[in-house]
Amino acid sequence: MKQIIALITILVFAGSLLMIVTNFQFGVPIKSDMDDYFLKFGQVQTGTNNQCTSVTFDFRGFDTLGESTVLFTAVMGVALMFRRFIRGEDDADE
Amino acid sequence: MRMSKIVRTATDILYPFIIIFGFYIILHGHLTPGGGFQGGAVVATGTALVLVAYSWKELPGLVSKNLLWFQESGGLLLFIGAGLAAMIIGFPFFYNWLAGSGSIFGTPVAFGPNPGDLNTGGFLPIMNIAVGVEVWGGLVMVLLYLLSALEREERA
Amino acid sequence: MIELVVHVLVLIGLIISAVLTITFKDLLAAALASGVFSLLISVEFYILQAPDVAISQAAVGAGLTTAIFIIAIRATQRFEGETE
Repeated sequence: MKQIIALITILVFAGSLLMIVTNFQFGVPIKSDMDDYFLKFGQVQTGTNNQCTSVTFDFRGFDTLGESTVLFTAVMGVALMFRRFIRGEDDADE
Repeated sequence: MRMSKIVRTATDILYPFIIIFGFYIILHGHLTPGGGFQGGAVVATGTALVLVAYSWKELPGLVSKNLLWFQESGGLLLFIGAGLAAMIIGFPFFYNWLAGSGSIFGTPVAFGPNPGDLNTGGFLPIMNIAVGVEVWGGLVMVLLYLLSALEREERA
Repeated sequence: MIELVVHVLVLIGLIISAVLTITFKDLLAAALASGVFSLLISVEFYILQAPDVAISQAAVGAGLTTAIFIIAIRATQRFEGETE
């Protein structure tokens, strides 16, 4: 019974993925107003030839700010977790 | 904790090129594919190669913990400060006020394919350098803490 | 034509390395197979014209993740199912 349910789930997921691949053409979005704006004005407004960077750092700067904060928090978490194991080894301020 | 002589010799030859390629990706982030995160990750990979091949205690200059913390927080502060500098002058937060202004990083760019100039992009190169320095410090910091905890574990 | 051949070879290599990753009993070899998987998927990203993603996948996936796995294996044990 469990195997039949697993098989049905796999078939449903594979079918939906194949439906997405076959129905939508690659590189042709349904709504492209924002993309057209970026491609038309991004190079002159931000002065960059690399449009990926102009989107991630200028038009979507808040995303990159959040990403940097996430990385900072993750490194701080690792440092706080492993600080217990190496206490007193090379931290002179404790 | 050191690896074999083959690994160490290959590391000695390879790691300057990897690190310089990472700096190239960071500095040319507004012209060629890549950017701050990708370049910082490449530099951190080159440093990780040295860290895994040698023992981390033999390399006090390359991986000092205080310097890495300074990189990590200084990169984030430079990133936020570049965004706040626009507010001080009177523009919205994260406004690219340097682009096309004629000063540093401010050469105007025409629409269409062109060979590219390093002195363009407004504050995007500054952002790239900030994020690159931050990612470099952060990823090396994670590896360094894992390795130092591992040595502590093996000695105990 | 040559593009299609490279594409098919990379995809076959992806499947082989993914299967090898979960079948190896030697965890060091499994970590290296995972690194090969990341390297091949970065080649695939490059073929699909996404060089940004390819660079970050090659650096983080093939370099740093493999290094972290090797450090973790060095701290625990090398073979799966081994008792202390």
